[in-house]
Amino acid sequence: MTPVRIKMSKITVENVSYVYSAGTPFEVKALDDINLSIEENRITGIIGHTGSGKSTLVQMFNGLVRPDEGRILLDGADIWENPKEIGKVRFKVGLVMQYPEYQLFEETVKADIAFGPKNMGLDEDEIKNRVSECAGFVGLGQNELDKSPFDLSGGQKRRAAIAGVMAMKPEVLVLDEPAAGLDPAGRASIFDGIVKYKNSTGAAVIIVSHSMEDMAKYCDYLIVMADAKVFMTGDRDTVFSNSSQLENIGLDIPQITKVMTLLCEAGVNVSKSIYTVEDAERALLKLFGGVR
Amino acid sequence: MKGIVLGQYYPADSVIHRLDPRIKIILALIYIVCSFLCRNIFSFVLLFMSSIVLILVSRIPLKIVFRSLRAIIFIMLFTAVLNVFWTKGEPENLLVSWKFINIYTEGIYNAVFIVVRIVSMIIGSSIFMTYTTTPIQLTDGIERLLSPLKKLHVPVHEFAMMMTIALRFIPIIVEETQKIMSAQKARGADFSSGSLMKRAKALVPVLIPLFISAFRRAGDLATAMTCRCYRGGKGRTKMTVLKCRARDYVMLAVSAAFTAAVVVINIYSFGYTM
Ligand SMILES: Nc1ncnc2c1ncn2[C@@H]1O[C@H](COP(=O)(O)OP(=O)(O)OP(=O)(O)O)[C@@H](O)[C@H]1O
Ligand SMILES: [Mg+2]
Repeated sequence: MTPVRIKMSKITVENVSYVYSAGTPFEVKALDDINLSIEENRITGIIGHTGSGKSTLVQMFNGLVRPDEGRILLDGADIWENPKEIGKVRFKVGLVMQYPEYQLFEETVKADIAFGPKNMGLDEDEIKNRVSECAGFVGLGQNELDKSPFDLSGGQKRRAAIAGVMAMKPEVLVLDEPAAGLDPAGRASIFDGIVKYKNSTGAAVIIVSHSMEDMAKYCDYLIVMADAKVFMTGDRDTVFSNSSQLENIGLDIPQITKVMTLLCEAGVNVSKSIYTVEDAERALLKLFGGVR
Repeated sequence: MKGIVLGQYYPADSVIHRLDPRIKIILALIYIVCSFLCRNIFSFVLLFMSSIVLILVSRIPLKIVFRSLRAIIFIMLFTAVLNVFWTKGEPENLLVSWKFINIYTEGIYNAVFIVVRIVSMIIGSSIFMTYTTTPIQLTDGIERLLSPLKKLHVPVHEFAMMMTIALRFIPIIVEETQKIMSAQKARGADFSSGSLMKRAKALVPVLIPLFISAFRRAGDLATAMTCRCYRGGKGRTKMTVLKCRARDYVMLAVSAAFTAAVVVINIYSFGYTM
């Protein structure tokens, strides 16, 4: 028997609403009565059309945006209980914002990754260990660590920025579109780094992304947002089996799932619920008796 | 975001919003001149009423107008107090006399007149220029109004282009600053506590990325402009050609009549004249 791991709710979002520029003609309701729970030791994906409130929501997890209504609970305690202590929450909930490469500023990549841990008041040795460990997660070598961050390529900058947040060893790691605008190899190395981080720390990881393929491949649980509300939640198979509903709110299912559905409808004996290329490959090889 | 710099511009659908920006600049100037022409109680009443009419016609909520007046309330009080104490009137109009302080009726009048003048000036110019005109329209209007100076080799177009770019980039840079600050806060940067020196130092992680991205944006914009063969003002046409319509001429006529009325009222002296 495999040991049953009891999943604990790390972050709970209770009836949260948020309005930008309230009381002006530019008022936008970004979040409308959101209820969610985020669990430890798994990767939660947030998907939703552009402007559905994903970035606003993830900025609430670490207290960058304060809800107008409702509460955010971290380990059962309201993070806004004592607003002066919000800094401590930010070390526990690490947020990598959209396009994080623009936040690099230090002379060397090494020093930039160390910025977060330094603000935590850790000692030199601990900082050094963390920098090399987290650079390892995202695949940055010693060669890159000594360079100026401005001499790196876009993908390397992105990885350095992600390592900078990982180095704080947050219990919750939140990434807003971590792989947007990168090539397939760059995407894979970032997601692999995130998985490595999760496996080594058991943290709750939250990823926002527009790529259904990446979400299908890496996420254990999905949250679908539409028009400032939570539209659907569930594990990958549950969410992607509702393809028509997803299409209604401007989202899609992974391309490979479409291919497999068409094959299935054409009479080929494969399952419709296949979401990654690897699974499709396996199913097709099995069907045709090949091995690899 | 739009709320920050364009916070001055208040989108609404009114006649004033639709006026030609050149006309609005001229109207604002005329209005300011009129507020200085006013000398007696009737002309000030007329001026004040016209401000109220402007607010109503432009459909700007009173709350927003008051907000801009609140910023200058200190200056208003200061000038009012100065006028009360420093105006020397006829001896028979002396109201209060205590030690070296003498307050005359004329002083009270002056104080009220000055306050009305400042309030109307602010309301008039902000309604014509800031609340109902976007900064881009405004620079376009200024460029057209100053275009005769091109004959004297004043680089009017270049200045206007610089203004437009600056205005266009203010909200972008403000937004970017907020994003970078958020990103650094997420890594534990603290901008709001500690000594002045510490806070100034805390800004380094914000300023460096900000400058780098500002230079990058400037470079990108210059490249984009070059790619579209931008080479300054000569022979350039505009996407939106400013055109005066009937309503613009009507407003000019109304303001001419208003100026005439103020001048005429000033000729007849009703009571105290400033
Ligand atoms: N700083 C801001 N000021 C005003 N409105 C904002 C601000 N940030 C976001 N909004 C508005 O709030 C809504 C939600 O924005 P948000 O950035 O959370 O969307 P998103 O789901 O992350 O979109 P995307 O997928 O494009 O990143 C949008 O309508 C947006 O216009
Ligand atoms: Mg976003």
